[in-house]
Amino acid sequence: MTEQFDREAGPKVGGELSSVAKVLTQEKIDRYARAGGDGNPLHTDPEFAAQSQFGGTIAHGMLVLAYLSEMMTAAFGSRWLSSSRIKARFRTAARPGDTVTASGRVERTENGRTFCTVECRNQHGEVLLSAKAEVVA
Amino acid sequence: MPLNLEALSKGHEFPSVAFHLSSQWVREYAEAVEDGAIAGLGRDMVPPMAVAALSIRALLDSARLPTGAIHLGQEVAFFRPVGMGERLSAAGRIASRGERQGWVIMRIDLKVEDEALALVMTGRTTVTMPLDQGQESRT
Repeated sequence: MTEQFDREAGPKVGGELSSVAKVLTQEKIDRYARAGGDGNPLHTDPEFAAQSQFGGTIAHGMLVLAYLSEMMTAAFGSRWLSSSRIKARFRTAARPGDTVTASGRVERTENGRTFCTVECRNQHGEVLLSAKAEVVA
Repeated sequence: MPLNLEALSKGHEFPSVAFHLSSQWVREYAEAVEDGAIAGLGRDMVPPMAVAALSIRALLDSARLPTGAIHLGQEVAFFRPVGMGERLSAAGRIASRGERQGWVIMRIDLKVEDEALALVMTGRTTVTMPLDQGQESRT
């Protein structure tokens, strides 16, 4: 993990954001389902999920996105909360047992905004989520 | 009785729903997502994705999400920090709806405002769900 972080200015153009890694478990997915109020059995019911195209339970997309948001909060502080935007696409399902790593890179600064390419991958290197994010510079 | 989400048409407007970011709920959320960064900004700050998650949940309370629904994409824009204890309201509209091979693909625009009607967050959720076999096309 490369860190080019200045608490005032934030990461520099071309710099990598400090990555965030989490190990997913069914218990964590269940906890998120309770907090997020999303009881879709694809996430919480192993028997139901086994019959789906996924063959087992999967994590909520918003849980994986929350990991990425934590990385952005750590990198950009209150700017991530006060003037930011993200466009994310969920590409592959995250599953219990996966290690999810959020990472990203500052691409450019333009018109007072900092633009980043960010993603989450599992331990096999598969992209779970890819996104473009921007925050006030 | 909530309506089935997949049966709703493009242009359908979800009624505005008020919700409360109680400190207890925010702590449960932050614990569930293991957010180790938000506390560094002040102990009363709400993780921005918590606002997104709770507003989506509030909106979908008025429409039943079919089992097997899959979240394909999420766009979010945040306009100001949100603190624990705030009361917000979410409104939404189905921006597009298509059908393909027995599945519905839907984009839902959402808007979250505070009690002063100032914009807090906007978003677009893209979701796909199995089409109810007995239902006529509403694309």
